[in-house]
Amino acid sequence: MSSSKKMTAWRMLIVCAFLLTIVTFTPLVIPKGVFEPKLFGMPYTLWMTILITMLYVVLTFIGTKVHPGKDTDK
Amino acid sequence: MTTWIIILGALYLGMLAFVATNSFKKNKNAEDYLLAGSNIGLILGFLTFAATLFSTFTLLGMPDFFRINGIGAWIFLAVSDGGMVFLILWWGYHLRKKVAEKGFNGVAGLLIKCYQNKWAGYVSFAGVFLFLVPYVAIQIRGIAIFLTAVFPDAMPFWGWAIAIVAIMLTYSEIGGLKAIMHADAIQGLTLLIVTWIIGIRCVDYFGNLENMFDQVEAVNASLLSTPGPTGLFNVQFLVASFLVILFIPVTQPQLTIRLVIMRNLKTTHMMAVAVGIFAILIILPTAFIGMYGAVRYPDLATADFLSRVLLYEQPDFIAAIAVVGLLAAGLSTTDSQIFALGTEVRSLLKGDEKKILSITRYSIFGFAVVALIFSVLASDQLVMLARVSFAGTAMLAPMILTGVLSKKAMGSEIIIATAMALLIFILSLLGVVPSEIGPVRLDLLLLILLGAFSAISYQLRK
Repeated sequence: MSSSKKMTAWRMLIVCAFLLTIVTFTPLVIPKGVFEPKLFGMPYTLWMTILITMLYVVLTFIGTKVHPGKDTDK
Repeated sequence: MTTWIIILGALYLGMLAFVATNSFKKNKNAEDYLLAGSNIGLILGFLTFAATLFSTFTLLGMPDFFRINGIGAWIFLAVSDGGMVFLILWWGYHLRKKVAEKGFNGVAGLLIKCYQNKWAGYVSFAGVFLFLVPYVAIQIRGIAIFLTAVFPDAMPFWGWAIAIVAIMLTYSEIGGLKAIMHADAIQGLTLLIVTWIIGIRCVDYFGNLENMFDQVEAVNASLLSTPGPTGLFNVQFLVASFLVILFIPVTQPQLTIRLVIMRNLKTTHMMAVAVGIFAILIILPTAFIGMYGAVRYPDLATADFLSRVLLYEQPDFIAAIAVVGLLAAGLSTTDSQIFALGTEVRSLLKGDEKKILSITRYSIFGFAVVALIFSVLASDQLVMLARVSFAGTAMLAPMILTGVLSKKAMGSEIIIATAMALLIFILSLLGVVPSEIGPVRLDLLLLILLGAFSAISYQLRK
């Protein structure tokens, strides 16, 4: 991947991580006092935020591929 | 159980002695001793980072946090850790770039070079000292309380605390960072295995996950959503916690050092992914243990709940692994933090290397003693004290970030603002200043103001 494409992909990734963070703290993810719908018995906010944590890790993994920084080997 | 604890404990101590002496033989200079030769591979790097990040408070604090405050505890720690590992991609790159340019022997020393102002180093060290020592102390306290519960007649609480600090000092002083990292690797895996075994046994008690959460709903439905029964997990608390945990690799030197000494950028980045996976794997079973406790022991005191769920309800062998695993978990975090404080002292000094190394070793001893004293005085609110530590060191984040990101030396206004924010935060902890200004938490407000001020200063000086 060319460095300009990498830079674009990295910037898009930062936007995704930022949006994910914003969404996490809205009633969409943490509605007050709501625990339905359940997934595998887990209450809504728990499974939703487990999913969000996994998404962060996926974004981090993609980031390792597209981060435009050059190695700073010592 | 006692026999198994003695066998496993002896094995663990033997392993510590082995890695300490082995590292001692391999350490050729101060760089080897304090920074482990700065050539750490992915597996060791990830395990030492994870073991330093997840410690006693994970297995002792998080189940209780889930039990009392509900599932919002996942957002408090796991979501925040998810954000943190993403930040490592960006921060790891800029930090390593700056280190390649200016050299590294500690964060305080790096800041002095970045700001060309020794006060940047002093303020950084003061913040880290003031807020890391209590964090170290609660780890020591957590294990000591637990060991007192296991062996009530063996020795008093403070006796265990002294024993823990003595073990930690012995192998850290002998083997240096390399010994600490190898011990971390074993501890990280032990903690993960123990937590999962106990977590699975807790779910098994109900038959499956669905039954478990149904029972929790029957006992106290408010545990299944935010803000939880105590109202702790409101949006403001969660956002403030997210921010302070996000900045841990920036502000806590024991983790910053680990980003610097990784072999290369690619290894650093892959380590971040591995830590993210580890975070999910280690926190999930603590939720199961907490939910189990919410159903079976909703009203028990923390120590009673933990001793039952981690020890008395487990087969002897598992309980023994839990005891030794907890000891190892506490040691791996405290040694890294105390050692990092020593490294910070070293980075503030100039002169003969041998003399500086000697001062560093004495200061490591001194920090351990201070932490020991504080551990006797601290409260039992492990997670909340840990959070105060995260919040305190987070005040350093804008100063460290602008210092590292800026090509030019930043002005002293950021150093002064950081020192003032630290002072105000400490005064709020002492009750002199209110911990909320209107509807806003003071820690969140200070972070936002400090961040905005530093960003403006950075732009103007760019």
